[in-house]
Amino acid sequence: MHALSAHLKRSKGDFSLDIEVDFIQGITGIFGPSGAGKTTLMHLLVGLEKPDEGFLKIEETTMVDTFKNIYEPARNRKVGYVFQEGRLFPHMNVRKNLLFAAKYIPKGKQVIEFEELVNLLELNNLLEKRPKQLSGGEKQRVAIGRALLSSPKLLLMDEPFSSLDVKLRRQIIPYLIKINRKFNIPMLVVSHDLPDLLSLTRELFLLKNGRVLGQGNYLDLIEQENMLDVMRGAGLMNVIQFKVEAHDKKNGLTILSNKDASEEISIEREMVLDCCQIGDEMNVSLRPEDIALTLEKIPNISIRNQLPGTILKVIQKENRNYCLVDVGFKLLISITHASLLKMELSEGKNVWCLFKSMALQTNT
Amino acid sequence: MEHWFVFSETEMSAIGLSFKVALWCAVLVLPIAVLMGWWLARKTFRGKSLIEGFINLPLVLPPVATGFILLLLLGTKGLIGHWLNELLGIRIAFTYYAAVIASMIVSFPLAVRAIRLSIEMVDPGFEEAAKTLGASTFQSFVRVTLPLALPGIISGFVLSFARSLGEFGATIIFAGNISGETQTIPLALFNQIQMPGMESSAFRLLLVAVLFSFLAMAFSEYLVKKLHKRN
Repeated sequence: MHALSAHLKRSKGDFSLDIEVDFIQGITGIFGPSGAGKTTLMHLLVGLEKPDEGFLKIEETTMVDTFKNIYEPARNRKVGYVFQEGRLFPHMNVRKNLLFAAKYIPKGKQVIEFEELVNLLELNNLLEKRPKQLSGGEKQRVAIGRALLSSPKLLLMDEPFSSLDVKLRRQIIPYLIKINRKFNIPMLVVSHDLPDLLSLTRELFLLKNGRVLGQGNYLDLIEQENMLDVMRGAGLMNVIQFKVEAHDKKNGLTILSNKDASEEISIEREMVLDCCQIGDEMNVSLRPEDIALTLEKIPNISIRNQLPGTILKVIQKENRNYCLVDVGFKLLISITHASLLKMELSEGKNVWCLFKSMALQTNT
Repeated sequence: MEHWFVFSETEMSAIGLSFKVALWCAVLVLPIAVLMGWWLARKTFRGKSLIEGFINLPLVLPPVATGFILLLLLGTKGLIGHWLNELLGIRIAFTYYAAVIASMIVSFPLAVRAIRLSIEMVDPGFEEAAKTLGASTFQSFVRVTLPLALPGIISGFVLSFARSLGEFGATIIFAGNISGETQTIPLALFNQIQMPGMESSAFRLLLVAVLFSFLAMAFSEYLVKKLHKRN
């Protein structure tokens, strides 16, 4: 079943938006530069703006159909919306904010239990506080909780990371993943920050100038030429999930493993110290520019991480070239045209991917 | 000298009447002013400034002129008044009700102004948030906007109460100066000042007027401060 399907048109002055979307399950990231129409799209889906033309279906219910003159206002749509600034009601404490929607849900129709949610989002100690007494990350969690307690069929989040500092971003991501798994609510997360989005999901939806450029898995999108252009400016990034295996105290390193890769890798220990313990899963990001390719393993070199793999695809775009290499997981590697020619790199060729421990960043 | 602080029956009735008229005026003005304030704060439409100008008219018009307009409209021979009188037997001019209506008209723009400003200060984003959580426009107004604008709404109430206490011009024209019926403190004071030998009575009324006004303002300040602390 489709969580949402829509085709919406809206123009405002110079800007026009014409978007066809389809979402099924899981978390989808909506990515695009500022002015791409991300917030307008959100407003159209939630019901804070009216489309000039089009339709919107949530699950199987038609919420908007300009041809049949159907327009359900925001309150009937069952779409939870987490505003960029949270918009917690300042005159109510956290408990009252969370329970705001309870009055509008018929008895027995409440999908998510208050206690369960409070535990999941760790809001127990905040319930009697006022919004202005909360930190940025706490506000964000309360806003998410408040939206979820309206028993939505779909959860929309507008730039959930932008008001948080780097450390808090890392903290909010596991909550979002937990929510999605536990309540099985499809989530659309808007962001202009690609690395942030990638730490949450690989399923992306690319917007530019009010149009859809592509939808699908991040690495599949990169292989399509015109996508690369949109995403490159935002900072292309490899985001890989690893398990923390061991700490090498003597060398100040931490050993990580990935179930699909043949070799373990090491990362500077201080990157891991304040977030993860042995056995934890963590997201690590690696810039395509920080990976080197060689044709064989190199023994006497300061670069510790060397992963063997096969080139899946060579992407050539103007003066930029990328190789997509399968090392168990997919790695995107930036390379010069000269090297590409000299090493005779092509699809199917076996290579080694080299990167320094220092090049790995734990995800923000 | 001891009779200086003993209130006569006329004075007591003027004080009681003033209080009653002011309270009714404030209570009746409040809901209309809240609606109007919300409408002006949140909606844009053609002719909005015309409506604003009309509402504010009693603020700049001499109160005597306002009273005269009311008389022309609602007097027994007035535009609306003669219908009320002939069809329903209702007479408004020169009654207690006329005093309340005169007060309402002159205090309405003050109340609307205070309430409108406070509603404009409330971020409409909170109303949007309430709607995405399932609230109707009215419910989001009552549960979110109204409590957030409460300090302004209270000061609107107090302003119209205080303005009514001071109302003279429109009342004397539209409601007359009838002891026990329409003679509020300012009207009684006006009477006593004109009569020789009534200085002590005038003094007592003056004192009460000052006291009332002061208490109303202090009370509103107190409430607004308390609310600010809460929010």
